[in-house]
Amino acid sequence: MEYKSQKIAYWYFAAALPLFLLQILLGLYLAYSYTFTVPQSIVNVFPFATAREMHTNLLVLWMLLGFMGGTYYIVPEETKSEIYSEKLAWLQLGALVVIGVAALVGFLFGWTKGRPLLEIPPPLNYFVVVGALIFLFNVGMTMIKANRWTAIQGTLLGGLVFLAVLYLFGIPFYKNLVIDWYYWWWVIHLWVEGAWELVTAAIFAFILMRLTGVEREVVEKWLYVEIGLFLFTGIAGTGHHYYWIGAPRYWLWVGGVFSALEPLPILLMLIDTMQHVKHRQTKIVNRLTWTYAVGCAVLHMIGAGVWGFLHTLPQINYYTHGSQVTVSHGHLAFFGAYALLNLMVFYYAMPRIRGIEVYDDTRGKYGFWIMCCAMMLMGLFFGVAGVIQSYLERALGLGFMTAQSYMRLWMGAVFFVGLSFLAGVLITVTDLLTIRPAKVEA
Amino acid sequence: MTRKVAYWILLLGTVSSAIVFLVATWDTHRQVAVLSNADKLSDRVVAGKAAFQKYNCNDCHTILGFGAYYAPDLTRVVQRIGEDGIRFRVLKPEEAFANSWRKMPNVHASDAEVEDMIAFFKWVGDINNNDWPPQDSKKRLSRGEQAMVASAGVSPGAAVFQTKGCMNCHSLHGTGGTFGPALDTIGRTLSMEQIEHYVQDPKSVNPKAKMPPQKELSQRELEEVAKFLSSLK
Repeated sequence: MEYKSQKIAYWYFAAALPLFLLQILLGLYLAYSYTFTVPQSIVNVFPFATAREMHTNLLVLWMLLGFMGGTYYIVPEETKSEIYSEKLAWLQLGALVVIGVAALVGFLFGWTKGRPLLEIPPPLNYFVVVGALIFLFNVGMTMIKANRWTAIQGTLLGGLVFLAVLYLFGIPFYKNLVIDWYYWWWVIHLWVEGAWELVTAAIFAFILMRLTGVEREVVEKWLYVEIGLFLFTGIAGTGHHYYWIGAPRYWLWVGGVFSALEPLPILLMLIDTMQHVKHRQTKIVNRLTWTYAVGCAVLHMIGAGVWGFLHTLPQINYYTHGSQVTVSHGHLAFFGAYALLNLMVFYYAMPRIRGIEVYDDTRGKYGFWIMCCAMMLMGLFFGVAGVIQSYLERALGLGFMTAQSYMRLWMGAVFFVGLSFLAGVLITVTDLLTIRPAKVEA
Repeated sequence: MTRKVAYWILLLGTVSSAIVFLVATWDTHRQVAVLSNADKLSDRVVAGKAAFQKYNCNDCHTILGFGAYYAPDLTRVVQRIGEDGIRFRVLKPEEAFANSWRKMPNVHASDAEVEDMIAFFKWVGDINNNDWPPQDSKKRLSRGEQAMVASAGVSPGAAVFQTKGCMNCHSLHGTGGTFGPALDTIGRTLSMEQIEHYVQDPKSVNPKAKMPPQKELSQRELEEVAKFLSSLK
């Protein structure tokens, strides 16, 4: 840590971690509900729908806190200056946590907008916008005052502004369901395959540069090409969500062609990570941080690249759309691309903020491998369930619950693997919050 | 590759993709009125959408394939289970799902809200969305039936039973829905003619019947499925 204001990042991360843990607990309730019978009396009070909106909103909340913390950590080093206002950063953290907790409690009492993933009702969602504006103002002012623009800063700021602007499209009540889904995807798709990828690419480039000691010139050149490809394939690739919503037929072509290219930038990211690691100018100090970086690049490719590609073509998507195949892809992609990225940042920044140069990574290693193996298995089991569903329900036309009864075994397997995922998360969260210096120099 | 070339890749990639996307968005707005029958988007349909959101239905069900995957897709729900089927399930889930291993919460929707939602579902069911979902497609299912008859060696009546949604409510050998009775030995109580009659208009035989009349079946399909069911003894 070179700048005093970087320590704010620590508290963003510390706030994100318990939310991550809570997200997994709710996920287990969901998997349990798929497998076993939850009695009517409990379903009436705490339905699947409530647990599901908590599960997904917790995901967004902890990851955004992670991105924001990451930004507050990186920006001072990139601009070589302190954050514009530490007070605003604190205020914004407090506000976001309060809004988040209020939304979660509200969900329990049926206070919801009822739009999947964007359930936070007014006026809370307006406060989210205010929180985002404070954040952007603070980061933007820091960069403008310092006036030392780099590609990493530009990408980071661009991604964050894009992210905030897109959120606005999720706020209105649309009368026409077709238009509603049309703009819903402006938020969801253009977030995860646009804005979030920009933020990720920038953060990733920064950390790779610091870890490997590869020249900025090289790292930033790759960064330009990657985000160029991300945006080229990702923006028009939104079309792969418009096949079956009542939009014109040409979306089958636009979506099919552009999204078939979506794995390219991710592949490029994987290759350049491997290149940088190979041509590193420094020696590996904290091995676990490197493991996270490589693991993130690999699972990003598998979950988002390969799994996304598998069901993005209209001919296949006709049968897999809205099945557990989507769930399989969602879990692997979010974990690979964004959960591991955030955790990599946490492992990079948290020890440094606490002044620990070399940290003890015995526990952390277990956490990483348990989480990754469990998530891979979960992705596979969701996938098997999804293929069964696509075949029985969609191709053969058997009833929904008939198909579900054949999928039950696999959803049960998800639940039990989910328990080990929880163990991995518990280890990781504990390790990050109580990180210790390594006993012996490696 | 120089840094400048990389920068141009970024710029051109983003701008070209954004132009394609925005032009298509403009054109989609132009066409959506026809594709979605926007002229039939009455206040009642909009109220139904609001009620659908109020009770967070979409975080268990999918509609147009989006939402959560815990409960059946609602795009063609009116065609599939009828208006009475929807009323029964929403207003009395305790009863409707008594034998199901997956339950639906009672959200205590008012009668008016349920009617609004039905109007909404009816409107959604007529959206021209490239014939999705496949299980409700007339075109695809007749092909699915043929394939099943040809490859699995089941009788035409059994194929109709499997692919025309009978198993959403009824079961055979423990596989299928729990809304209606199991039909494992239905041939012992009803003859082929009686079954044919019942399927066409359940209320004329049993005034308390909850089963909707199966108007979508062709005469041939009706005969085949009745023949198949009457053979189950």
